[in-house]
Amino acid sequence: MNGKNDRETGTNTDLILFVTGDSPRSLRARANLATAVEDIADNRLTVRHIDLLQDTSGVAEYGMFATPALIHVRASGEPTVLYGDLSNGPELERFLANLQSPETA
Amino acid sequence: MGKALTDSDAWALLDGRPPIDAAASGGFDLDGVLAMAEHRLEGLGGGWLILDGIDQLLSLEPDPRAALDQVRHLNDWCQARRITLLLTGKQTRSDGSQPLDLEGVEFMLSTVLVLATELVGRRLNRRFRVAKYRGSAHITDELPLVMDDAGLHLPYSAASEAARTAASQERIGMGILRLDRILGGGIYRGSTVLVSGAPGTAKTTLGVSFALAAADRGERVLYLTFDELDDRIVRNAASIGLRLQPAIDSGLLKIESRQAWNSLVEEHFITIHRWIDAFQPDCLVIDPVSALLKAASADSAYMTTERILDETRARGITTLLTSLIDTDKPQTETTLSHASTLADSWISLEYRIHGGERNRALSIVKSRGSAHSNQVRELLLSGSGVDLADVYEYGPKVLMGTARIEEEHEVAERHRRQYVERAQRQRDLERNIQQARLRMEEAQSEAERLTEVLERERQGNAETKHNAAEHRQDIQRRRAADGPTTGKDRGTE
Repeated sequence: MNGKNDRETGTNTDLILFVTGDSPRSLRARANLATAVEDIADNRLTVRHIDLLQDTSGVAEYGMFATPALIHVRASGEPTVLYGDLSNGPELERFLANLQSPETA
Repeated sequence: MGKALTDSDAWALLDGRPPIDAAASGGFDLDGVLAMAEHRLEGLGGGWLILDGIDQLLSLEPDPRAALDQVRHLNDWCQARRITLLLTGKQTRSDGSQPLDLEGVEFMLSTVLVLATELVGRRLNRRFRVAKYRGSAHITDELPLVMDDAGLHLPYSAASEAARTAASQERIGMGILRLDRILGGGIYRGSTVLVSGAPGTAKTTLGVSFALAAADRGERVLYLTFDELDDRIVRNAASIGLRLQPAIDSGLLKIESRQAWNSLVEEHFITIHRWIDAFQPDCLVIDPVSALLKAASADSAYMTTERILDETRARGITTLLTSLIDTDKPQTETTLSHASTLADSWISLEYRIHGGERNRALSIVKSRGSAHSNQVRELLLSGSGVDLADVYEYGPKVLMGTARIEEEHEVAERHRRQYVERAQRQRDLERNIQQARLRMEEAQSEAERLTEVLERERQGNAETKHNAAEHRQDIQRRRAADGPTTGKDRGTE
């Protein structure tokens, strides 16, 4: 992973991961998320990365004071957020599983 | 306040509230908001970073120590950039009914301000305390905090800022000549007078009289009434000849009404403080100050009264307080407001019932720095104003009202009779003296006459004696001429 924002993953972005450069928590979050997504093997799931050190607009736009933070914006426009370096595997799996249910998608 | 913030370019508001269903998976930090803050505060050379309700976010941190580390990181980050950091967060209750997400945070910050709320008399009381202010002297007491349309106030901390006015030697009148006389010439300017009594004893009347006298001297008077509306005060005063309207129209008298029960004691204090600041009165009337007891407060209303008086004394404002007495202890004359110890002068009003009448009595309980009368007077209210009358002691009772008037008439009649009798006795004496003098003159004349008679008698006796002697000599001569002589030319008898 590099420090650039990943905006090249297409228009069907489901998830946004807010990080702050190469801080240890950010690095861990990227790695943990990549592993989890790979395990799910759902090609409909796309991830966009926003580095707040490079682009602070995400703080105002999404109210992201804490990082790392994984966001999914529901169809209704309501966000659901999982803070942290995503090191708690069961919590991350629960979050990703909820994305696939019709109620929360 | 809100519009001023909205219109200002010097601040930015960001909504960083976590969604309701937000969760955490591992540790996180606040570097995102710091990046934003650095971007916005860049070039300002300082500024404020305010994170309101930071506990909401940090409560998601699974490790409490990591949450504290975030606060420390925030603090260090701001200090390095000369940015003032203000964090707000909830504190747990002593019973543990609320979670404490920032336990221990006070040890790492230089200043900790504790806000609390308490329901008193079903009214919300806000409290403020400086729990920590590293390197600075500060008040450690918990203080009331009031929030109103004008912002946040710490009423009692502001009260001590006024410079103290020196004690005055000038005496001023209270609008009742005889009352001023028995006070030794009036009350001292800048002093505090307490007028206590049961309902209806004319406390307000004395307050109005005091206010009117001050306005007549050209002084500014602020009259604060808790029991009555201002127009009723004006109307009722006019019924006893005290016309307030001209003083109001001239701008010298301002009457403000407040409902005691409708605000916290601290809110009353702030309002009074504001009115004093705005009107700059020479004299103040609070009628009655005991009404503050009806207002809810976690603090004592007595302390509020004391703080008000501290303020008026410091500013040199002559203050008259009226207060209800504690009817449960009428014999002690204790006031509900407990203001008697604070006042320089204390005028007690009471009812005296005698002969089927209820009359008002006035006495001076104390007047610091004055040789005042200790006599009870009757307070008279009439269409021509307020006055005092002497009372008559009748055995153990004090006569007032009709009994006093009857006694006055009896005394006057007694005095009249005594005068008439004395005048008659005087005239009798003068007549007797005149008669005596006449008798003396007659006696003198008689004495003179008798003296003359005596003199004549004496002269008559002398003449008789002389004549007798001459007669004897004549006889002897004649005898000698008729008989033989034994001598040369006379014979022996």
